Amino acid sequence: MSDKTDSAHRHGASPRGSDESSTSPNSVSTNAGSTRQSPVTFSFNGRPIQALPQDTVASALYRAGRRTFSRSFKYHRPRGLLCVAGKCPNCLMNVDGTPNVRACTQPVQAGMQVTHQNAYPSLDTDFMSLAERFSWAMPVGFYYKTFTHPWMWRIAEPLIRRAAGLGRIDREFRPEANHDYEHVFAHTETTVVGGGPFGLQAALDAAERGEDVVLIDDQPALGGHLRYAPGENSTLPKAFTGDTDESALAAVISRVLDHPQITVYTDATCFGVYEGNLLAIAHRGLDSPAAQRLTQLRTDQIVVATGASEAPLLFENNDLPGVMLSSGALRLIGLHGVKPGERAVVVGQAERAESTSQALQAAGVTVAGVVGPADVVKAVGGKHVTGLKTTTELLACDLVVVCGNWAPDAGLAAQAGGQIEWDEARGVFATGALPPGVTAVGAATGAGLPPSLDTARKNGANAKKTFVCPCEDVSLHDLSTAIAEGFDHIETLKRYTTTTMGPCQGKMCKQAAIDVCAQETGRTVRETGRTTSRPPTAPVPLGALAGPHLHPVKRTPLHAKHDELGCVWMDMGEWKRPLYYGAPESKQASVEQEYWAVRQRVGLIDLSTLGKLEVVGADAGKLLDKVYTNRFSDLRVGRARYGVICDEAGIILDDGTVSRVADDRYFITTTTGNIEFVQEWLEWWQAGSGWCVHVTNVTGGLAAVNVAGPKARDTLAKLTDRDLGNRRFGYMRCRRAQVAGVPSLMLRIGFVGETGWEVHYPAEHGEHVWDAIMAAGKEFDIRPFGVETQRVLRLEKKHVIVSVDTDATSNPIESDLAWVAKLDKGDFIGKAAISRAQARPPREKLVGFVMDDNVLPPDGCVIIADDRPAGRITSVRHSPVNEKVIGLAWVSADLAAAGGTIGMRVNGRLVTATIADQPFYDPAQERLRQ
Amino acid sequence: MSFLIPCPNCGKRSVYEFRFGGEVKSRPAPGSTAEAWLSYSYATANRERPQKEWWYHTHGCRQWFFAMRDTLTNEVTETSLPEEAP
Repeated sequence: MSDKTDSAHRHGASPRGSDESSTSPNSVSTNAGSTRQSPVTFSFNGRPIQALPQDTVASALYRAGRRTFSRSFKYHRPRGLLCVAGKCPNCLMNVDGTPNVRACTQPVQAGMQVTHQNAYPSLDTDFMSLAERFSWAMPVGFYYKTFTHPWMWRIAEPLIRRAAGLGRIDREFRPEANHDYEHVFAHTETTVVGGGPFGLQAALDAAERGEDVVLIDDQPALGGHLRYAPGENSTLPKAFTGDTDESALAAVISRVLDHPQITVYTDATCFGVYEGNLLAIAHRGLDSPAAQRLTQLRTDQIVVATGASEAPLLFENNDLPGVMLSSGALRLIGLHGVKPGERAVVVGQAERAESTSQALQAAGVTVAGVVGPADVVKAVGGKHVTGLKTTTELLACDLVVVCGNWAPDAGLAAQAGGQIEWDEARGVFATGALPPGVTAVGAATGAGLPPSLDTARKNGANAKKTFVCPCEDVSLHDLSTAIAEGFDHIETLKRYTTTTMGPCQGKMCKQAAIDVCAQETGRTVRETGRTTSRPPTAPVPLGALAGPHLHPVKRTPLHAKHDELGCVWMDMGEWKRPLYYGAPESKQASVEQEYWAVRQRVGLIDLSTLGKLEVVGADAGKLLDKVYTNRFSDLRVGRARYGVICDEAGIILDDGTVSRVADDRYFITTTTGNIEFVQEWLEWWQAGSGWCVHVTNVTGGLAAVNVAGPKARDTLAKLTDRDLGNRRFGYMRCRRAQVAGVPSLMLRIGFVGETGWEVHYPAEHGEHVWDAIMAAGKEFDIRPFGVETQRVLRLEKKHVIVSVDTDATSNPIESDLAWVAKLDKGDFIGKAAISRAQARPPREKLVGFVMDDNVLPPDGCVIIADDRPAGRITSVRHSPVNEKVIGLAWVSADLAAAGGTIGMRVNGRLVTATIADQPFYDPAQERLRQ
Repeated sequence: MSFLIPCPNCGKRSVYEFRFGGEVKSRPAPGSTAEAWLSYSYATANRERPQKEWWYHTHGCRQWFFAMRDTLTNEVTETSLPEEAP
């Protein structure tokens, strides 16, 4: 067995964490699929309930005498078990804090805490059932009819919000472990959805052809209807050979489970087919109902073997507890050993009613009568059925078993792009033409289903209490009213009444709604058509879709150092960077101390987050000349130059330094968040050019620090034998050097406006070099500084930060960076647009400003001129050296002249600032070059 | 959106491994008219049915390549590296 199969088993079919997890996940000891051996106790509304090994929560409660399992969505009518197959909405309960768990398919675990929902104070006495008395006030579409003024909705909304919806979410709930939510990605050749007889056959056929097969079933064990109703379907596929259906099934299941090519997911619902044959599968039956797993399974072939769902017939009080689908009653008997009632009336056509009666009688249920569907008037009873009224008599009973119409579950075939066609002879919508890679077998195609009855007859009963849609409490009367109001297309009828839109996703109501629509409009069913099938075919917990809470975090090689020094962290994309060092309450003081260290002595900042690229090859200069606005082919080895990248529209995309470290080798830095983009951009312009050049991202391999300040040279000189004097290592030069014994690349550049070096060195020596620099700088009282201090320092130099001070409309001309656009060089990306920008008068300009009095406007503050918005501030800080507030702002070009005044509103007060065309610190660049 | 793209280097992979690079357009020659640059920068043909596009295998071989994608079905019929493209 391959690894894939093994892991899929582990993820798919094993009851994770339970005592039995060591047994084979394939073992099926009973038809219920349970591997538990002894009874256990769980709690329902605080009372202990015994559960046998074959029990689900619902079957145990039913055996204990519970008949009302939920209250309906709108009228809070009592509802009991109906489908017992995890399809209808009637048994939704809260299990261990998770709302809306289907009790009829939830396996029991010892100590489980189960509570009812949607009823107060109890299921048997629900004050909200008064709602039914006011059903006259809630006609179909009452949202649209009643709230004709906004004030009405404002009053009604809180009340409706409180009353509406099903389970309550526990806002305090936290999963025990993050891994309770997981996503699994898998692929296979053939996927069979549905583990009934035809699905089992299809899985065996594909596996015998040598294909890898995944077989998915939403029940806890394979076998489909044969698990609880052997003999119902006379035509079984060819693998089923045996004296009885039971023995044939057991033999086929063991062949499937033992087959090395077949992986089985049980308790797993395939709820969607997406592009490229991607199946979405939600798993249940994990050790906690809160645990969620979603498998995304890519497959070459899909076999839709999803079978059919039995749907209720329409008669008055067809939703009373005690009115149960025939398949539901047979499931209670066959899977859980629970007697569904003492005295039953069976509603159905002769042959099916007969076989159902026999099965009931075999289980010890007295059959009080068999009634043809056309003769039913209504079910009688208050909180539970006490009888069935026919056109001729009243039959007393505690169980009405309804042999409803079987509707093919063809939704997945439709989602995969298949046709769903009306089969007139059988009276069902079933799969028609299917796209390549998709096939359908068994009841999904309509094959073998008993002919459907016309469900739309009314029998003169109360149409307001004849429920078409049990999920949303939509009655026959509601549908008729909606159609009379003009919502007579099946799609608009669905949206107006919300029928088919509840937890069953149409499995209980779709065909009946179509039948009613056809009858009321006088159209045929074929003309009426059906609503579009979309994912999900069954409700999916949001936790399964969300998956584990994983967010990538990038930490620099110096992360632990910053933690030791007690920094305040900031997020910069996925990176964590120190904002400043010190307590959050003393931010201003910390930033000023760091600031003066750089301006007067020496400071150290971690730059490892900078994007770093190596561009290597004979044509490296040619590529850079094409992509950057300035020229790099003429850059001499050992020199660095500032560069800007623009797009064809001349918009600034990124900036950084480009250093030529060898004839055919450039070292580039990019802004922190842009490294992937710049790499892709360089590779794009290189793609297909035939140039000899390679771009390599070396960001993660290198640590980087900037040592800056008047004492930076004295500090670094202790650690390297490289001559750091101006003559040998001037401004904008790059040199390879040993720093503290580590091979490094040193760049003399000055983002913060002081003498300084960027040192790039292998990440594994991150802390060693940092410690060495800190030790060497100790006599100068060196200080580490953070991003906030760096922003003040660079703002005093009017150095632009791309995407802080520029945006998606900024070109170099207007951004005060005209000097980087070398329009006299050959073709480059953005040349045409930048040339045009230079030729026309600018609309806006990025300018520096000084506040006239010392107020600090917020970043992003609107500039006002003549009472109109005329720009915005991009960066603004208090400048310690100037003792003034300074900043950068975009202003309309007519305001941009130096000395001009701009206004802005700060704390409700109009304040002014003066435009400055020079940097606010060291405009002659003397300190940089010292 | 969950279609597969046959990367020329890595084979069929989920579209989430890739970055879309837009329609393949030919860049105007230097000195072209403003209209030509405008059209190149902003206008797309947005063709129905197969369209030649740039894709980049971000979480794979990190190569740019051409793909013919059917814009109605998202089926990618053929892919090629730019050096090898006809």
